[in-house]
Amino acid sequence: MDAILTGLGQGFATALDPLNLFLVLAGCFAGTLIGALPGIGPINGVAILLPIAYGFGLPPESAIILLAGIYYGAEYGGRISSILLNVPGDAGAVMTTLDGNPMAKRGEAGRALSLSAIASFIGGTFAVVLMSMFGPALASYAVTFSPSDYVALMVFAFASLASLVGSNPVKTLFGAVIGLMLASIGIDANTGVERYTFGIPDILAGIDFLVVVIGLFGMAELITLVEHQATGTLKALKIDKSFVTMGDLARTKWTILRSSMIGFFIGILPGTGASVASAVAYGTEKRVAKDSHTFGTGDVRGLAAPEAANNAAAGGAMVPMLTLGIPGSGTTAILLGALLLFNVQPGPLMFQTRPEIAWGLIASMYIGNVALLIINLPLVGLFARMLTIPQQFLTPMIGVLAFIGVYSVVSNPHDLYMITALGVFGWIMRKLDFSLAPVILGFVLGSLFEDNLRRALSISGGDWSILLNSWNSVVLYLLAAVVVILPILAARRSKRRALLAEGDTPVIRP
Amino acid sequence: MVDRLFAGVLLLVAIGYTYIAFTAIKAPFQYDPLGPESWPQLLGIAAILCAGYLVAKPDVARFGLALPTWARLAVLVVLLFGYAYLFQPAGFILATFAFCTLLSVMLGSRILPALAFGASTGVVGFFLCTRILELNLPAGVFAAYL
Repeated sequence: MDAILTGLGQGFATALDPLNLFLVLAGCFAGTLIGALPGIGPINGVAILLPIAYGFGLPPESAIILLAGIYYGAEYGGRISSILLNVPGDAGAVMTTLDGNPMAKRGEAGRALSLSAIASFIGGTFAVVLMSMFGPALASYAVTFSPSDYVALMVFAFASLASLVGSNPVKTLFGAVIGLMLASIGIDANTGVERYTFGIPDILAGIDFLVVVIGLFGMAELITLVEHQATGTLKALKIDKSFVTMGDLARTKWTILRSSMIGFFIGILPGTGASVASAVAYGTEKRVAKDSHTFGTGDVRGLAAPEAANNAAAGGAMVPMLTLGIPGSGTTAILLGALLLFNVQPGPLMFQTRPEIAWGLIASMYIGNVALLIINLPLVGLFARMLTIPQQFLTPMIGVLAFIGVYSVVSNPHDLYMITALGVFGWIMRKLDFSLAPVILGFVLGSLFEDNLRRALSISGGDWSILLNSWNSVVLYLLAAVVVILPILAARRSKRRALLAEGDTPVIRP
Repeated sequence: MVDRLFAGVLLLVAIGYTYIAFTAIKAPFQYDPLGPESWPQLLGIAAILCAGYLVAKPDVARFGLALPTWARLAVLVVLLFGYAYLFQPAGFILATFAFCTLLSVMLGSRILPALAFGASTGVVGFFLCTRILELNLPAGVFAAYL
């Protein structure tokens, strides 16, 4: 407990530094703006702004504070377009549209926005509190992990990714393998052998992380927006004077608490972020409620549940990133890559070696959550105005931001072609129901996975049985088997039940 | 069908990747049991299995896009490559002006607002980034004046 308090004290000292405080607020503000834009979610927002934040030449803790602010700011902002436009910013905000938009149509947009802001705040804060309590403990346990345990952890991460993300597990797994393959390009650090460079000097050091992120997320997003071209202005519902009441809060308090809990723990699972969390929370609330028929018609519980869950998941996803060096979601994979750009290796030792980063980030999340609640209640009208920017001007801006970002950091015009080509590739993958988060997760984890495997086998002198040699790894492999097998069994059971009932059961697809 | 095509292309890439891993990558000397080739070999085999499965069992039949949408996307990609081509030699201001104006016209804006939007994005963006945010952007043809 003492260690946590001193850590938090140090963290607040970092986060309250005027520059960092400004960056938290700026990040939250920018994140909410971006999240409020229809069609652009947290992952695209962070991807597009990452190189620009990197280009500022900030110290690592300030840069990560800024990016994290953008991340959860965008999780807050996503609800605005979901509620007022019925257009979710990303997969995590889909469930918010189900009850949020009917409320706004009923003339209760103000009530929906303020209730969801409070639900988001509670979910987010709940996650940060749990994180500051259990993060350091998990980290000090993870210090004892051997390379073979890390291999098991990685297998678990990819197993839970494959079984929980996307519609087709093979496609998700393939996406992760593609990411791992991209990461294997360049000079092998252990032996100095060139792999897949084909004599091109530009990729001797590997493909630039920024280029992959901007290409797969920023540019692919731009192409998708043009594909769904919405000319003119989308019709946003008006914000009215209605506001959340104590009665609403009393009615949703258990919903919010349950959903925060669900969101946090799903967020911790490697690879599964806000989209799975909000879907599970919504489904759970619907099952728990006695009068579940009102869900989907503007029920306050149906609005509070996904919002609390997706913000809690955003916090939960930070836990494995900070303590194990394994990101809990696509967006935290980008944050992890950002830390690597600064030569900071996130992992169990970070709480001891770089406490200003680990604790500074946690403290900034406390501040950010409060700031977001404050700016979101009165300023929601300002953010809602973002929805009325004509699409034909917004879309080119994404391309311009991506080009500025890549050029200002790498200053190599060839990378501009590279991001465009990667954007086309990412768009095709999206069209074919591959999700892109596994690709970036694989790309970020590639060298860590390979290094630990090689180190483990060096320790054992080439004996593969070392991979099963400790309890940690055995338990992790068992958990991996469970996350793969459980959904299959559940799907089979619900299929059988559906056949028996001869009706269509609602399927929640994250 | 498109699914099968895409997976087929990736299968070929994966086979090439694995072939290189088994033949070309070799360390001249090494002390560790796993050399630089083992990891790509594992990945390549995993990729071949995944791609092979998708070729056998594709689940997306077609893109489902209308012809005008394809045309729009083609124009977008051409614009992006043009933007990348012009970015350094012509400079940020000019390249951005052209890109923003053309793309917003294609997306349905009228000519005058599009011109104003392109020009202001180019000029404001340049000074905002280079002067206030201190990011590096090419001045291009205006290099002598800026």
